[in-house]
Amino acid sequence: MVERSDGEEQGGPGEQRSSPAHPPFGKKQLPSIPKNAVPITKAASPASSTESANGTHASYGPFYLEYSLLAEFTLVIKQRLPGIYVQPSYRSTLMWFGVIFIRHGLYQDGVFKFTVYIPDNFPDGDCPRVIFDTPVFHPLVDSVSGELDVRRAFTKWRRNHNHIWQVLMYARTIFYKINTMDPLNPEAVVLYDKDFQLFKSKVVDSVKLCNSHLFDQPKIDDPFAISFSPWNPAVHEEAKDKMFAYKRLHSDPLLTAPHNQRWAEDYNKGPLVSGLSWVKPGSTQPFSKEDIPLQT
Amino acid sequence: MSWLSRLNPRGPGTRTGRHAAPSSPCTADPETCLMVFENHWRQVSGVLKPRESSVGGYADDLTAVRNHTDQMLCLLAEESPAGGDIESPAMGPILEMVVAENILDELVQWHLRRGLDPDSQLELLKLFEMLIGQSHQPLLLHSAVLQPLLSLLGACVDPQLGCPAALESSLVLLLNQVCVCMAKETAVLELIFRCGPVQQGPTNLLIFSLLVPFIHRDGSLGQQARDALLLVMATSASSHAVARHIAENSYFCPVLATGLSGLYSSLPRKIEVRGDDWHTLRREDWMGVSSLVLFMNSLEFCNAVVQVAHPLVRCQLLDYLHNGFLVPVMGPALHKSSVDEMIASTAYLDLFLRSITETSLLKTFLRFILLHRHDNDTILDTLLTRISSNSRLCMVSLSLFKTLLSLNCEDLMLQLVLRYLLPCTHVMLSQRRAVRETDLYGKSADKFLSLIPECCRITAAPSSERDDEPAFWGKVLGSPTSESPVHPRPNTPSRLALFIRQQSSGGQANPPSSGSENAPSSPRGSISSPLSPDSPMHQLQDASEGETGYLEYLRDARKGIELCSWACRDWSAPYDGENPSPNSVLPPPPPPMSNPSLSMVQEHFSIMDPAQQRAAVVAAARAEWSSSDRDSGEWDVTISKNCISLTPRSKKRSLLPSSIPLQSSSSAPVSTEITGAVETVSQHSHSAPHPPLYNGMGQVELTDSVDERMEVKKVKRDSDVNNSVVESGMNGSMGMCPVDYNDFHVGSAMKSSQVQVMPHLQHQTSVPSSTHECLQSESQRLSPVPALTETSTVPHESRGLESVERLIEELLERAPSEPLSGDSKYQGISIEAFHQELRELEERVRERRVLSRSSEESSREFHTAPAPSLTDEDCLPVETEQRFSETKPDSSAPGVFSPARPLGQPLAQPYTGPFITVLFNKLESMMQNSLYVNILLTGVVFQLACYPQPLLRSFLLNANMVFQPSVKSLIQVLGSVKNRIEAFAAAHEDFPAMLRKARRFLVARGKLDWSDSPMGVPNLRRSDSLIKSRKPSLGDLILRHTNSPTRARHAAQLALAHVRDGGQSLHSALFRGGAASGASGLEKQAEALRVKNAVYCAVIFSEFLKELAALAQEHAVALPFPPSQGTEE
Repeated sequence: MVERSDGEEQGGPGEQRSSPAHPPFGKKQLPSIPKNAVPITKAASPASSTESANGTHASYGPFYLEYSLLAEFTLVIKQRLPGIYVQPSYRSTLMWFGVIFIRHGLYQDGVFKFTVYIPDNFPDGDCPRVIFDTPVFHPLVDSVSGELDVRRAFTKWRRNHNHIWQVLMYARTIFYKINTMDPLNPEAVVLYDKDFQLFKSKVVDSVKLCNSHLFDQPKIDDPFAISFSPWNPAVHEEAKDKMFAYKRLHSDPLLTAPHNQRWAEDYNKGPLVSGLSWVKPGSTQPFSKEDIPLQT
Repeated sequence: MSWLSRLNPRGPGTRTGRHAAPSSPCTADPETCLMVFENHWRQVSGVLKPRESSVGGYADDLTAVRNHTDQMLCLLAEESPAGGDIESPAMGPILEMVVAENILDELVQWHLRRGLDPDSQLELLKLFEMLIGQSHQPLLLHSAVLQPLLSLLGACVDPQLGCPAALESSLVLLLNQVCVCMAKETAVLELIFRCGPVQQGPTNLLIFSLLVPFIHRDGSLGQQARDALLLVMATSASSHAVARHIAENSYFCPVLATGLSGLYSSLPRKIEVRGDDWHTLRREDWMGVSSLVLFMNSLEFCNAVVQVAHPLVRCQLLDYLHNGFLVPVMGPALHKSSVDEMIASTAYLDLFLRSITETSLLKTFLRFILLHRHDNDTILDTLLTRISSNSRLCMVSLSLFKTLLSLNCEDLMLQLVLRYLLPCTHVMLSQRRAVRETDLYGKSADKFLSLIPECCRITAAPSSERDDEPAFWGKVLGSPTSESPVHPRPNTPSRLALFIRQQSSGGQANPPSSGSENAPSSPRGSISSPLSPDSPMHQLQDASEGETGYLEYLRDARKGIELCSWACRDWSAPYDGENPSPNSVLPPPPPPMSNPSLSMVQEHFSIMDPAQQRAAVVAAARAEWSSSDRDSGEWDVTISKNCISLTPRSKKRSLLPSSIPLQSSSSAPVSTEITGAVETVSQHSHSAPHPPLYNGMGQVELTDSVDERMEVKKVKRDSDVNNSVVESGMNGSMGMCPVDYNDFHVGSAMKSSQVQVMPHLQHQTSVPSSTHECLQSESQRLSPVPALTETSTVPHESRGLESVERLIEELLERAPSEPLSGDSKYQGISIEAFHQELRELEERVRERRVLSRSSEESSREFHTAPAPSLTDEDCLPVETEQRFSETKPDSSAPGVFSPARPLGQPLAQPYTGPFITVLFNKLESMMQNSLYVNILLTGVVFQLACYPQPLLRSFLLNANMVFQPSVKSLIQVLGSVKNRIEAFAAAHEDFPAMLRKARRFLVARGKLDWSDSPMGVPNLRRSDSLIKSRKPSLGDLILRHTNSPTRARHAAQLALAHVRDGGQSLHSALFRGGAASGASGLEKQAEALRVKNAVYCAVIFSEFLKELAALAQEHAVALPFPPSQGTEE
């Protein structure tokens, strides 16, 4: 399912650049950052920690963690976050490679690569960390390490309420809505408040810098690391055509998802009769759908 | 569908020489051929013309004409088109002449005029067949060829009598050739159709009507006819006129449909199979049964017709199939009263469903199953009840439902499960939102895994046992201490799957040393992703964790879920608790209060009314622990004046030698009374159920889960008590009573029974020995007696017994050390008698049931009184007294027959539907089920749990979901099974050893099956996602080779070679006790069977839990599939 997606994920960013620019202000309303959510004090965490600690079937622990992460990843896919692509590392599901495309605003045309580090006691530990490959000039991004201040949005990571896609969404939101409270990069805040023009030009420089490193080898050597290469028709043209062809045919992006294509291919081969339905939408009566070809 | 592709028109070369002149003229040039032809023709016409007026003719003439005609037609057949392009080749000179002079017509007319004798008729048919089959030119496009052909055909067939038998094969062959030509040249169809009226009046399509009578023939004749018809169908699919003609003027569809009915009626009523695991008709099973082959051919033909025919024809055919076959034939067949016939018809239906590939035909079948009512019940409801039976019927029904589930049909799932879940009344109001949640953090999976009984976690074999199978066992660290029943090895929950997987995956190296130490500590940082199965870390992990088995389960689960959600992507609604809206849906049908045949209360006593259950439990109390033999022993049926009782034969024999002998019960006068008793009992049974029961939930269950934690300790304590009870029982008459009861209360009753142990003990000992029968009769009443309303317990038990016998016979007969042989003969005899008796009983019960249904309204009152018509004077007082005294201390359960409870139940109690109920009940009695039932059962539940619809998924797999108290969850059911397994293990010292052997046997079985799998997996649609050993295979293997005893023996030996351990097989080990003590072998065997079922259950149960856990995890990571848009293309 997901292992096939790397092609798309990696291929995706290259193509996205050529997609038409979005209107300056996105139609989509960003979901509220979980920080604003009323914290619900629930005994979930202690209970779960004791449960995982009881150890009767500790051997399955790794599966739980792995599947929790996989489930988080699935959620990311289902969310269809605009302009965000992530790909878990080959070596560890605790490390995800990602890239954000900023399509408008101060950081327009920015392509920021980042890595998500998930604590190994997920989901009972701290919130995941997001570190940009190249430190973006931004109040919430550490100018040296490139680390995004995620914690301010997720003061306490609460399983079932907080999800990694929210972190990713947050990482995107900061580029559209600048928050200057408690900055990691005080210089940026000072400029933002005092000399906005200079701030803007610094941002543009930063975007340029990031984009100039786009074709660099990935910082972390990993088969699934996201790497960009200059447009090469021999390599990319076909993939692009395919993507756009699918896009024209099917409005639902899930149709182009690898698992769907694979199934469509595999499944139609067999002489299987399956997936039957004669239920009229909106009805719960069997055989309620009129079967036109069978009418005499 | 390969049907059409099989119909390769015969090449010209295939049958040359049959008629072709020895001196092949084709080598000659066209001119020469024409000359020769003309020459022949001249001579023929010489014969034809002068005597045109004369009647009759001379034999010489006939011979001459024949000879010349032979030559001429050969020449014509061999002639190639004279140039021209491929589209419209020019006629060769001979053909040109044939057309110009209408030679063929003259020939045929001559024959007709002089009166066709069969001989020349045959000759002509063959000639035309040769001509059409071998010609290089499209002859039939010329009416000079077509007309005489049709004349000939018309003359061949006596309108009244049909085709003379001698001509049949030639006629069909000729027709087949014509149809092949027609398929190649569609214009021919039009020509024939247009030519028709002149010659044939209303029956335009002569060729067609000639073929129809042969539709259902067997052998190649029928096949040729069907092939030919199919070609007509395919060719006519685009021609509305022809289609109309077929639909309106031919008997094609009625013949086809009613023919199926006729063929069905000749199918065997009883399927004789030897393997005790047989449950479904595989191709290799039915290939040898000619009547079934015949039927399947015709069914396949129907399928093909539906596939290729014009919608008009298709529609008509489907109509006829429904009204001319399914309703009048299949319906009654499925409702036959004898178990054998039910088994057969269910297996047939399953086979048919698996064989159909055309959607609309499948729809016809499904519509029949879901909507058609036979005697007020839908077919589906009837089939559902069969699952709870305890015989082969259960297995056959389970595999039918497996087939049905594999269709991923929305309509079916709606009727079966979803409509009961749609109102969302089964969940707490506050929980409705949670329906759509997935198990993000593996909590449900964790819950399922935590239900793996502690006693099943041992995996290490003592070193002495692992010498013979290094491939499987050598990798396990030998640990002498692992003999202790609860040896915690958390890092290796079960290796069974691992071993099996290794078989299938080609044997992964698994270093023994790397495992235990580092496994739990380090995995966090080094987890590799399932995204990258080839990741190097992955390998490492597998090896260190020893969890290959679980990984495989995950893989299977993923596959199952993907397959299912892909298949369901075009459903009309997501069924997520919001769409369809819970408020807008029609209320699901209520529990089948008033319908006895729908009553889910079956001979499995686990599903008793909770109150009854409690009472029975209390009555039976300690037996639970001491005996663990409530299941599948052998049983005596005791039919006394007004009560029927089941007693484990062995105990009864030893303890109550004076009880009524078995033989007397089969006498006629007694049996009428039996039915009387049965009737009341069954009336009682269907009046008793109320909603909680239908969900398989009782108050007892609540205590069940509460007690869960304390269970193990309790078990230990109680088992001590029980042991002493058994001992004391052995000396007196009491020992058997608990055993008896034991069978009647299954389920979660054990806990409460523990509490009751002591008081009950006292009570029991105070009861005089004659109460034995009363207890039995009481238990009859307490238990809702499905035994008798359906296929009865007794066949179940005997089935189990049979299966042991079979196993012994087929697998172990060559083990000389088997201690079994001594008693088996006697056993066999009595069991047959027993069977016979039961069959009679069942039939009567069925008859009565039909009657009682009409009076069900009135009979409902009965449930307030303890079965008034059971006027057993002896039993009644004691029984009531006993009952009340026993139920008193148990304040949480109302009196057994307290009217308040059933009547006081609000009608709107959530009800999860009969399917869930019956599956859960069956699951609950896993300990008593045979290995094969459990394999099938867990397979069906697995398949059900693959469905991605949140309503279903959350109901089955979400362990955090809070249901209404009256709704029993899968977790609860499994929890009670777990407790029972642990109790059993605690009561059996040698459980670990037995468990190991059971695993070993299953592994060997899986291996055997694997090696022989190319024979074909029967279930076309369901990928075999169970671990190999869980597929009933050995029996199939043996069954498959019944024609070759040597192979069968070889197969059995092969299996045994792996099972055997130092000359001792699993079974011998399990039966060991029987030989050691000099006591009755029967008793030991009964015990051994119970033990065997329980041990196998423990293995299957553990694997099943892993499977469910894997499903819960995979559901969380599954991506939905968008609706297909391809259908519009």
